[in-house]
Amino acid sequence: MDKSFIQELFKANNITVGTNRQHLFDAFVNEEKNRLAVKLIMENKKLLMDTWQFKNRLADIQQQPVSIPNATAGKPYEVKLDFAQLNWNDFSYFHIEGLEESGLQYDPETKVIRGTPVKSGDFKLTLKYRINGEDEASAPNEKKVPLVINPNPKSLWKNMESDKNDPYWKEDNVAIYAPLGDRHLLAASKRGRSHANTGGFREDDFAFKHFTDTGWSVLVVSDGAGSARLSRAGSRIACNGIVEYFEQHFTPELRSTFDALIATHTAAPGDKTQKELTRFVYDNLGKAAFTIHKKLEEFAATAAAPVKDLHSTLIFVLLKKYESGYVIMSFGVGDCPIALINKDFSDIALLNRLDVGEFSGGTRFITMQEIFKSDTFATRFGFRLVPDFSYLMLMTDGIYDPKFEVEANLEKLTEWKALLEDLGGKNDDNVKVDLASHTTETANQLSAWMDFWSPGNHDDRTLMIIS
Amino acid sequence: MRRLPVYLLLDTSGSMNGEPIEAVKNGVQIMINSLRQNPQAIETAFISIITFDSSARQVVPLTDLASFQMVDIKATGTTALGEALQLVSNCIDHEVAKTTTEKKGDWKPLVFIMTDGIPTDSWQSGLAAFKQRKVAYTIACAAGSGADTAILKQITDNVLSLDTADSQSIARFFAWVTASIGVTSTKVEDAGKELIGLNELPPPPAELNIVV
Repeated sequence: MDKSFIQELFKANNITVGTNRQHLFDAFVNEEKNRLAVKLIMENKKLLMDTWQFKNRLADIQQQPVSIPNATAGKPYEVKLDFAQLNWNDFSYFHIEGLEESGLQYDPETKVIRGTPVKSGDFKLTLKYRINGEDEASAPNEKKVPLVINPNPKSLWKNMESDKNDPYWKEDNVAIYAPLGDRHLLAASKRGRSHANTGGFREDDFAFKHFTDTGWSVLVVSDGAGSARLSRAGSRIACNGIVEYFEQHFTPELRSTFDALIATHTAAPGDKTQKELTRFVYDNLGKAAFTIHKKLEEFAATAAAPVKDLHSTLIFVLLKKYESGYVIMSFGVGDCPIALINKDFSDIALLNRLDVGEFSGGTRFITMQEIFKSDTFATRFGFRLVPDFSYLMLMTDGIYDPKFEVEANLEKLTEWKALLEDLGGKNDDNVKVDLASHTTETANQLSAWMDFWSPGNHDDRTLMIIS
Repeated sequence: MRRLPVYLLLDTSGSMNGEPIEAVKNGVQIMINSLRQNPQAIETAFISIITFDSSARQVVPLTDLASFQMVDIKATGTTALGEALQLVSNCIDHEVAKTTTEKKGDWKPLVFIMTDGIPTDSWQSGLAAFKQRKVAYTIACAAGSGADTAILKQITDNVLSLDTADSQSIARFFAWVTASIGVTSTKVEDAGKELIGLNELPPPPAELNIVV
């Protein structure tokens, strides 16, 4: 070993040992001093290589991108550091500093960071580590790694009052109970968090009236488009306008014509009577809708604003109990559903066609001239004569977006059962609306229920329930 | 939940090396941090980053703001803008959900393009593909005098230019992008309606010239 090392060394330096000097060379190799020198050289060589490899490894670790998944304040967090995947199996010591303030802890046993963050921010964590072979008494190496703790989205919402001096101001929240002949009406409308956050106005609206003398009820819901500057006024004009229209134009003559139609239809239902009823709905509800369209145009002109500033959807229902059952006539433009659930809760019918676009947001408004000219105008009306029903509901997308997610689900009975259970208290906040009791308190319960949390769904919410 | 997809197409060609690329990385990071403080954006905005140099890559797939982590990007090579337009078209196809009767779709995507040069690939075919995709709006930013605003004008009507691609101008651009995403996420949630053009967005700061 020693001999071959020295031979190699001499050879590399062009020193030749003649055959006549072999004895001398052998003695040289065996000399204690020289053997020691070779040993030292070997050791130092190894030291250099080891030190280099160690430094190299540390540099690798320093440069290694390590990303720790982001956390969110208030939300339980648990992330395991996968040492095998990180290629950290040569670590003899590992600890994380910098978590102290966050509410998270690192558990060295399981290599898991867990806890529920108590504050948000950009944290700089210090990973302290030693790799195999490092002196346990030496100071550990350090690597900085960022950790993002997002704010809890709930904490970011502000609740700013709307400007009461605005000419089109309306109350942020309303809730009402009213008897409706032999039925009961419960309605609540609530300013969405997105509007509360900026001190904006509620853009949804509703109105209703029960004509005690005739037994007719008119029910209206409207959703003012968020992008339209004066839609809070648009939705109000639309709702109140429909009630006014039927106050003025649903004359005794018209009513008796209709009563006669229903009588004939009940006695001998057929294509002819069905057609006449359809015609009646089309004529009268169509006229009401067009009147609102005109009214909004006029209002826009007075306010010196483009009519699109008043963009609002509109759904309304005329309801009356006859001996043969309940007559429900409806009209709808936009994406608010009118749903009728039968007596034994075995069937749900949507009374209107919803205007929804290919991408979200493609709805239609009562302010749009083209809806009256379109082929689809006739499909906007509904007529039902039912022996009885359990619920008739009118709502804005602020309710069904979070509760039904997609329009297709509005036709599924199971989804409506789930909504009723939700109203009955099966929800995260355990808020219960006692639909069987008919008082103002029930309306307040409905209003409280409408505070439910749903990420991405912070629009105004309006729900009208006839039971 | 309806997401608001945001695609950032960033030029990482060699000419961006140094101050510009550092400013871009910084700009994205500040943008993310700032949007995380916006209650609507943190719930609705999803960000993707596509870089283009000699080729185009989606370095961050469409990711919600809360989970978003910036990756390191380096400036090298040429300017494959056409490939980037083709890539973002493909990404829109498979990442952005359309509304069907079964599923509520995402909002139309927002696309921001930033480049400091002239495309070096055959960009027309990429542009043709991109034109077929539905977006709420596309904003193109010409950073510095090396970019050709006439080409960008063919991609979108909304073209802005920075006189120089220095860190301050780039920071201003990203601050404005941040404000635009914030306003859009508020509008879609609030109004249920997409924005369509530059005139509905916050006015760009002085460093950003509107190219007409």
